[in-house]
Amino acid sequence: MIEVDRLTVRFGGVTSLDGMSVTFGAGTCGLIGPNGAGKTTFFNVLSGFVRPVTGTVRAFGEDLLSMVHYRRARWGVRRTFQTEQAIEELSVFDNVAMVHEHARLNGASRRRDVLGAISFVGLGADPSATVGTLAAGERRLLEVARAVVGRPKLVLLDEPAAGLPDEETRHLAEVIRAIPGHTGALAILVDHDMSLVSACCETTAVLDFGKLIAAGPTAGVLRDEQVIRAYLGTAEVS
Amino acid sequence: MPSWQDFEPFIVSGLALGGVYALSGVGTVVLYRATGVVYLAFGAVGAMGALIAWSLTNAGTPDWLAWLVCVLFSGAVTLAYGIVFGPPLARRDPLVKAVATLGLTLILFGLMDLLWTTNGGQSRAITLPTDNGGFTIGQVQVTWTQVIGLAAGVGIVVVTTVFLRYTKLGTAMRAMANDREITATLGVPVRRVEAAAWLGCGVIAGVAGLLLADLVALDATTLTFLVISSLAAALIARLRSIVATFLAAMAIGLIHDLLTPIQSLSNYRDMTPFVLAAVALLVLSRHRVMTASREEA
Amino acid sequence: MLDIAGRTAAARQRSPLRRPGRRALIRAGVVVVLFLFVLLALPQLLSLYYIDAMTQVVVYSVVTLGLGVLVGRVGLVSLGQVAVLAIGAWVAARLLFATTQPYPLVLLEAGVITMVLGTLIGLPALRLRGLYLALITLMLAGAITVVLTTTNFPNGGHGLLGYNGATVHIPAIRRPAIAESDPAYYRYAVVVAALMFLLVLAHIRTRPGRAWAAIRQSEPAALAAGINTWLYKLWAFALVSFITGVAGGVLAGAVHYLYSINFPTQDSITLLAVVLMGGAYSLWGAVIAALLLQLLPALLNNWGVSADWLTILFGIGVLQVLLTAPRGLADQVPKDLARLGRLLRRRIRRPAPPEGDPA
Repeated sequence: MIEVDRLTVRFGGVTSLDGMSVTFGAGTCGLIGPNGAGKTTFFNVLSGFVRPVTGTVRAFGEDLLSMVHYRRARWGVRRTFQTEQAIEELSVFDNVAMVHEHARLNGASRRRDVLGAISFVGLGADPSATVGTLAAGERRLLEVARAVVGRPKLVLLDEPAAGLPDEETRHLAEVIRAIPGHTGALAILVDHDMSLVSACCETTAVLDFGKLIAAGPTAGVLRDEQVIRAYLGTAEVS
Repeated sequence: MPSWQDFEPFIVSGLALGGVYALSGVGTVVLYRATGVVYLAFGAVGAMGALIAWSLTNAGTPDWLAWLVCVLFSGAVTLAYGIVFGPPLARRDPLVKAVATLGLTLILFGLMDLLWTTNGGQSRAITLPTDNGGFTIGQVQVTWTQVIGLAAGVGIVVVTTVFLRYTKLGTAMRAMANDREITATLGVPVRRVEAAAWLGCGVIAGVAGLLLADLVALDATTLTFLVISSLAAALIARLRSIVATFLAAMAIGLIHDLLTPIQSLSNYRDMTPFVLAAVALLVLSRHRVMTASREEA
Repeated sequence: MLDIAGRTAAARQRSPLRRPGRRALIRAGVVVVLFLFVLLALPQLLSLYYIDAMTQVVVYSVVTLGLGVLVGRVGLVSLGQVAVLAIGAWVAARLLFATTQPYPLVLLEAGVITMVLGTLIGLPALRLRGLYLALITLMLAGAITVVLTTTNFPNGGHGLLGYNGATVHIPAIRRPAIAESDPAYYRYAVVVAALMFLLVLAHIRTRPGRAWAAIRQSEPAALAAGINTWLYKLWAFALVSFITGVAGGVLAGAVHYLYSINFPTQDSITLLAVVLMGGAYSLWGAVIAALLLQLLPALLNNWGVSADWLTILFGIGVLQVLLTAPRGLADQVPKDLARLGRLLRRRIRRPAPPEGDPA
């Protein structure tokens, strides 16, 4: 469970998050909102790249914000980025293994954990192949594999399906839905594809101009008038 | 410890030097805000202009024409660089853009050494007619050149502040400093605004080159790398505020010259801009946390 | 994010993965043969003038290697490596005059002291973003240059600085007993340089190298993966300062007399230029960069052509590299050769198509 309390982020005269208070329960939760609503800023706060002006985040009972950013991965925060950040010159295996290594997980189980994560996401590529040879969809799956390896507590997925064709998006949806069950982690999904969000997430929160305007079961949230208005009617709701 | 009287002349020279540093610093900041490029070739381009002016006066050209050529040369080279290399590098990291200007610096530096070899012994100098006239404040002689130096610094701050706030071109530059892409979609002729910024910066470089050649030395190496000192002022201002650049530049110029009569520190006074910039950068960024999003330093 | 070093093309890796051990072995063999040639045969073939130039090449290849690691592997630009080299040379000269310690020990001490200084500077500086880090290294290099111009290099004098401004007869910086002559000292330098290259290679192939790759790709992602990016960047700074300090020590013995005019600010810029041109990422690039920096001027000097043309060439080179090939020339050569090799192999394996068939 993640409890966010009155989180406010301000820089350069812009208030990116304005008193955001929400609780993310177990399972996969969606976080949606129009462009610039503050979703990525929220992730950046969780990752430790941005310091909020006020507010707290309690993750599984611990004060997340007091942890140094690179230690959060050790604690169990994992994240995918909007543009893939897989390291091209290393192999698929090494990319995933690196996360395992820096999370200070047991070296003895590393091979098993890494190969397990790779097969969990359904990445069929040869683990020793370099990332440079992978197709876009496979790279996205690799990103997810890096996010689920080991014992994550919080998996942050930032538009993992952006630009993917329907079939690959559907596969990704299944993987995302299975993350909490497979790893015991809480997953938060940020995406603009409403069908993906409603397919994976039991609950969803909505940000607009840094403020939380709705939170609750996904189906209800997507029908909420305020939410629809925030998107100016451009959201496709299944 | 030297007496107040020993310091007096250095206050004057320090103010003049600071003024020219401010001129260079503001030129650099405005260009950076408009294009994202830290113009490290600023000094080299001014140096070459000054050398050209020197050669022309030696060949008999009237002084004012030689200086005009200097300023036009600096403006033209900078504009040409901006037009040719600006667009292809526009989306790259500011570091890449800055390193590219180092390429220009090397080209100019090589050319200068080739065309104006330092024949041992004979040193060149640029003398402006304003060196001779002047007035006295108390015990101190002040030359008109020094007045011009200070005036140039103050003047550029006023001119650019007014320009940026009240003219269409200036507003466009401010918009581009914020977000180039969005400004382009608003119908602002981005390339033309950038060209104006490049040209303006180049012209300022030419003027600064002449003044520094007069106040400091007409030497390719010295002038090229004096840009580092004026850059220090811009850095202390975080490449943002024009007024802060001015104040930092004045501080640098003053402290540098005021150290001259202090025996124990005099030899190290050239370190002033570097030390101040390094300290300022480190102090000013101690609270920064790394961000994944676009943020100014 | 710095993209000067660019993203890795997987061109090399696109070839089939069978018998990777064989190819690595062949490559290692080539390196060993070249090394032995450079070590043993080369000094026999060259005149003293070129042995001297090649010694400079060897010294600077370690410096370019260091800058290459920073720029090409970690993604940090330092505009002050020549100042670091000067510090190493200074420390070594001071120790060589003041003590009778054996040469290897002096080199080690020069490396360590330079490393400590580099680390101290890196501690606060590495928090800065790429552009500001580069500019602050430029500032610090400027400051160091001023200090060196004032304090001068040790010349056998006493006191902390070891500089005696009054001496007319300045003693030469000594060389190791086994390497007094120029060809012998050249070989000594080659061995030291090789050790530095091996040290760097050891880092690149193991955990720091992988962490650096992650940092260069994207620092946020590296942090999110749990990598203490600041620590690894500091480690890179320390490593590079160490090897550059050692190179400075070797330089001191090579030139016998050190003057601050030998370490001008523009050299740090030309250094970056040749590293970019040679290819910041590969180790071969470091060698090519050093050849550009020290051999070409010697050649031009010999032929009566001004070295200024090289400065201009390097300026053009920087622009060309940044505009077109982010990985630098050295990497283009192996890529082209690899492509050629694949083409030939394909021709050999496939039987010639029958008449009338499109190829």
